[in-house]
Amino acid sequence: MPVTNYTIRIQRKRKTSDGRIDSHWKEYTVKATETTTILSVLEEIKGEQDGTLTFRQSCRSAICGSCAMKIGGRTRLACKTHVGVVARDNVVEITSQANQPVLKDMAIDIGPFFERIHKITPYLAEGPETDAVTEETAYDQVNHVTQCIMCGSCYSDCTMAEVSPEFIGPAALAKAFRFVSDPREGQKTRRLKQLAEPHMMWSCARCAMCVETCPKDVKPMEAIVKLRTRGVAKGFNDGPGPKHALAFHNDIKQSGHLNEFTLMMRTVGIMGTLEELGTAFHLLKKGKVPSLFPHKSAGLAELAKIYEILEQNPLDVETKAKEVVPE
Amino acid sequence: MSIQFAYYPGCAAQQVQKEADAAARAVARELGIVLHDMPRSTCCGAVSLRETKPAFSLAVAARILSEAEESGRHLVTICNTCLQTLTQANHRFKNEPELLEKINQVIVQAGVRPYKATINVYHLLWVITDQLDPKTVKAKVVKPLNGLKVAPFYGCHNLRPAEIFDSKAGEEADHLDRLILLLGGRPVAYDGHDKCCGFHVMLSDKVEMRSMVAKNCLNAKDAGAELMITPCTLCDMSMGSFQKPAEQVAGKVIELPEMNFAQLIAVAFGLDESAAGLDRLHVSPHAVLAKQGIR
Repeated sequence: MPVTNYTIRIQRKRKTSDGRIDSHWKEYTVKATETTTILSVLEEIKGEQDGTLTFRQSCRSAICGSCAMKIGGRTRLACKTHVGVVARDNVVEITSQANQPVLKDMAIDIGPFFERIHKITPYLAEGPETDAVTEETAYDQVNHVTQCIMCGSCYSDCTMAEVSPEFIGPAALAKAFRFVSDPREGQKTRRLKQLAEPHMMWSCARCAMCVETCPKDVKPMEAIVKLRTRGVAKGFNDGPGPKHALAFHNDIKQSGHLNEFTLMMRTVGIMGTLEELGTAFHLLKKGKVPSLFPHKSAGLAELAKIYEILEQNPLDVETKAKEVVPE
Repeated sequence: MSIQFAYYPGCAAQQVQKEADAAARAVARELGIVLHDMPRSTCCGAVSLRETKPAFSLAVAARILSEAEESGRHLVTICNTCLQTLTQANHRFKNEPELLEKINQVIVQAGVRPYKATINVYHLLWVITDQLDPKTVKAKVVKPLNGLKVAPFYGCHNLRPAEIFDSKAGEEADHLDRLILLLGGRPVAYDGHDKCCGFHVMLSDKVEMRSMVAKNCLNAKDAGAELMITPCTLCDMSMGSFQKPAEQVAGKVIELPEMNFAQLIAVAFGLDESAAGLDRLHVSPHAVLAKQGIR
């Protein structure tokens, strides 16, 4: 495989004595092939060019999760990422994970990330909901979430975490789903109740960035969707998130279309709507007001019938994850 | 030659973002793309129905897809969330025959034609950038953008999860950039082009939603953008109509004109206000377009 020169632009970060982070971009030139890993490139720089460069690494096998960093605009494991895949015109940009406190260069303080994991009680609890029998299919739901290596990539790229330090984040929610789905777990309902609180499962913006970024195919957002389904089924429908979600199926049954006019009222209630009057007036200026009586679709009786059939004979349509075969 | 599609504009385009629908129809007409209405189609249920009533959500999608299939046409939409919702269901129907069978049993009992999973779901933007000869589009450009710096805001739901879509998605997606080039503009690279507009948490996490809008717009502006376009009626609502409320949260002036991709095509094609709908935008693009000698 041909060896070429790659320019590696690294955002060097250093804590100043008053606790701020000083940063500047520094370029290094490294000879590599397309399939050289970013981790090898970083080792080459540290070993041969600049010993002050700081990054974490351990297993080199995408198992320990130590070397997650922003590479080419997305958080990836340095040990699993080939230079050729992320280079644009032979340039690769590398910086630390986002949404986490930086210690130096690509080394971040992973503590706040793990505090979020601990919030969801990441171990099985005894209680009344422990199943007596564990079916053969019991782990179909759990398989993909147990692959998580806690590298923090999803949290680093999470678009909600970027604007909300309170948000619990995709990894913790995926972990929570792992326990809610485990037949041995005794406190499933208590967990769902906690997850319905603000900044938990209903604050995910559904952007699917975590699904794309996860190096182990955990699909955290899919787990969040399933958690919400289970929460609604248990009747934890108090917040604006579930109220908004529930409004959809009523509207589709009634007119086929979303009644955007009353949607806000049903989601945030009368007080919430009054608070939003300024925004409503702003929208009104450009005629962005939904119709109070949206147009009705043809054949609505079919929908009522579909709904009735599914209420009488519920269908399990959840996706199942196959048993994980090591790469 | 004309290309025929079953047209599914989505709820927003029929209610609050009517300008996107008008522009899409006018632009399609110019390009020989025939959009057939779907009188029986309902709201796709978006991300919400999938969470609250997963089986009902698939049945609703099957009913919509079946209507398009019966007409012998693929489905085309101008809303990212409709695109993702219908594609996700379609992807499962095509790959899980047992699931399709179960859902068909339900809809057939309700008098709906069974869905055979033979059609694809496309975004109108993909039809224009992937299926038409670029020369066909260029030939219609009478008001080229003259190097106008345009920020492409892709929106999440035509990008991810990449494996389900019938076009290049995920990090590979470049359709919006290619469109800007075709119209004579310069696509601006910025952090945020593939991030979230916050639409789906507009009511539940309103400060966070506005922060997302402000961040993405300001990043685009800092990178030199004079205008932003999106392929999604929901992103339009966030990035355009909610820019002012976002300014209040960010404590900064943004003033970045934003419009639907179809509106910018209508402008470059020299179509009139009834097609371009520029007066319905909250941040007026008139000054930017005039400066460039476009309108």
